[in-house]
Amino acid sequence: MRGFLFCMFESCADPSSLTGLAWFACYLTNGKHLLFYQSFGTVLGLLALAAPLALLFGFAGALAKRSQIPGLRQIGQVYVAMVRGIPDVVFFLFVPLLIDQGIEVVRHYSLCESTGPIYQGNDFVVCDAAKMPLSSAEPWVHSLYGFALALAAYAIVFGAFAANTLDGALSAVPTAQLETARAYGMNARQSFVRIQLPQMWIYALPGLANLWQILIKATPLLFLLGIEDIVYWARELGGTKGSRFAYPHPDWRIYYFAALLVFYMIMTWGSEKVFNRLQVRMSVGQATLSGKGAAL
Amino acid sequence: MTTPVLELNNIHKAYGDLEVLKGVSLKANKGDVIALIGSSGSGKSTLIRCANLLEQPQQGDILFQGEAIQFKGQGHDRQPSDAAQVRHLRTHLSMVFQQFNLWSHLSVLENVIEAPITVQGRPRDEAIAEAQALLDKVGIGDKGDRYPAELSGGQQQRAAIARGLAMQPTAMLFDEPTSALDPELEAEVVRVIQALAKEGTTMIIVTHDMKLARDVANHLIFLHQGVIEEQGPPADVLDHPKSERLQKFLSATKA
Repeated sequence: MRGFLFCMFESCADPSSLTGLAWFACYLTNGKHLLFYQSFGTVLGLLALAAPLALLFGFAGALAKRSQIPGLRQIGQVYVAMVRGIPDVVFFLFVPLLIDQGIEVVRHYSLCESTGPIYQGNDFVVCDAAKMPLSSAEPWVHSLYGFALALAAYAIVFGAFAANTLDGALSAVPTAQLETARAYGMNARQSFVRIQLPQMWIYALPGLANLWQILIKATPLLFLLGIEDIVYWARELGGTKGSRFAYPHPDWRIYYFAALLVFYMIMTWGSEKVFNRLQVRMSVGQATLSGKGAAL
Repeated sequence: MTTPVLELNNIHKAYGDLEVLKGVSLKANKGDVIALIGSSGSGKSTLIRCANLLEQPQQGDILFQGEAIQFKGQGHDRQPSDAAQVRHLRTHLSMVFQQFNLWSHLSVLENVIEAPITVQGRPRDEAIAEAQALLDKVGIGDKGDRYPAELSGGQQQRAAIARGLAMQPTAMLFDEPTSALDPELEAEVVRVIQALAKEGTTMIIVTHDMKLARDVANHLIFLHQGVIEEQGPPADVLDHPKSERLQKFLSATKA
């Protein structure tokens, strides 16, 4: 297979001489398309990192919201209320900017020799040493930094929704179960870790499954943040290519977007299956409809 | 004279303005089986829940093996002040609940070994061996790997009793152990409680079941509106009730 591909690349040296299948094979393996395929990796990578991070933020938010400590409780409430009340798109544009400028301001005051005012007229100006990333940095550092900022936005936004789901699930655990833990000498931490947390999952799972689907569907927002994701490349590659391009073709965007449709459908359909399985497994032996079903 | 296992002195408990217990005292010596009877709202469940501090009494002392539980605060803010002491009390008094309250995410065996391992820090192997022996003893040795919801009520309650015994408690507290069960299933649980009584297990049992009270208890307490109306050996109290209220209560339960 590798050898075949290699041959194919060689024969792609002069696209204008190609026809039919060979043209397509070369077209679909040109440099831009490899970047397109890579961008699927970007999306999957974002999902793989954003989900656990959001869960982490979710736990932090839920625990803060449920905390006995007054200050902490308000922080949790404000976090959840703010994120849930503000449109996602606004937040996605706001958070990376906030983090980016925040970091640059801090660096400006700690790294720059002459700390002039940051706001000069309408411009946000920090010295070269404070730029994030440094203008001398490699291009991959720039894209990684952009990706990290986007990731932070996803984690914060989805963390707030997860916090609400987890908070609700923690509250759904019957008090009798926790009272029994106390009656058998467990302290607050033991009763939380041994009883409340494991019982919480079954109530949280449907909500978290929903969030995961929404997270998958929200990945095109990367495009909004200037990251070259699959939507960017589908538009870029699908658009009409005149004869000055190596592979001229008419407007094929509809096919590219159809490919994205298929990709997203497979992703959501597949994860639905996984979550259903998880639900069944967690429900074994439980006095719920799915639990009884599983026991039969 | 030996120290009583558990002593409750002049216990007062109110929820808001509603006074549930108005100065109740009780003493359980080693090997005693005390039955608490009374109509709904008489405070008998509240009393047994005060014994292991699931409810905090606003007044009164709780002495476990002669040692008084320390409290801080007054009235509704009164709280036990020493967490270690509370844990000591709770690990030595095993509670069996009306609704069983087996932990639903754990198998029956895991339910029985949970507190011995987590709270008492006993080795897992030892806890499992003992749990299996206890499940055999209550007649559900073959149900260890089942989840609570897969068991009948009677089996669940027997599992809950095994869970209580696994703590190697000084005394067992039963809060209406048979009230949620059909007569048939009730009999299974009663047999287990009778067996425990024969072995000399110290028990305090809140019950509606006069037959259970008569058969297993050596001391019976009739609570009415938060005070002890009558008490004594079960046969005496049940056959020759002195107070009008107990007479009424007994004739109502017979019908």
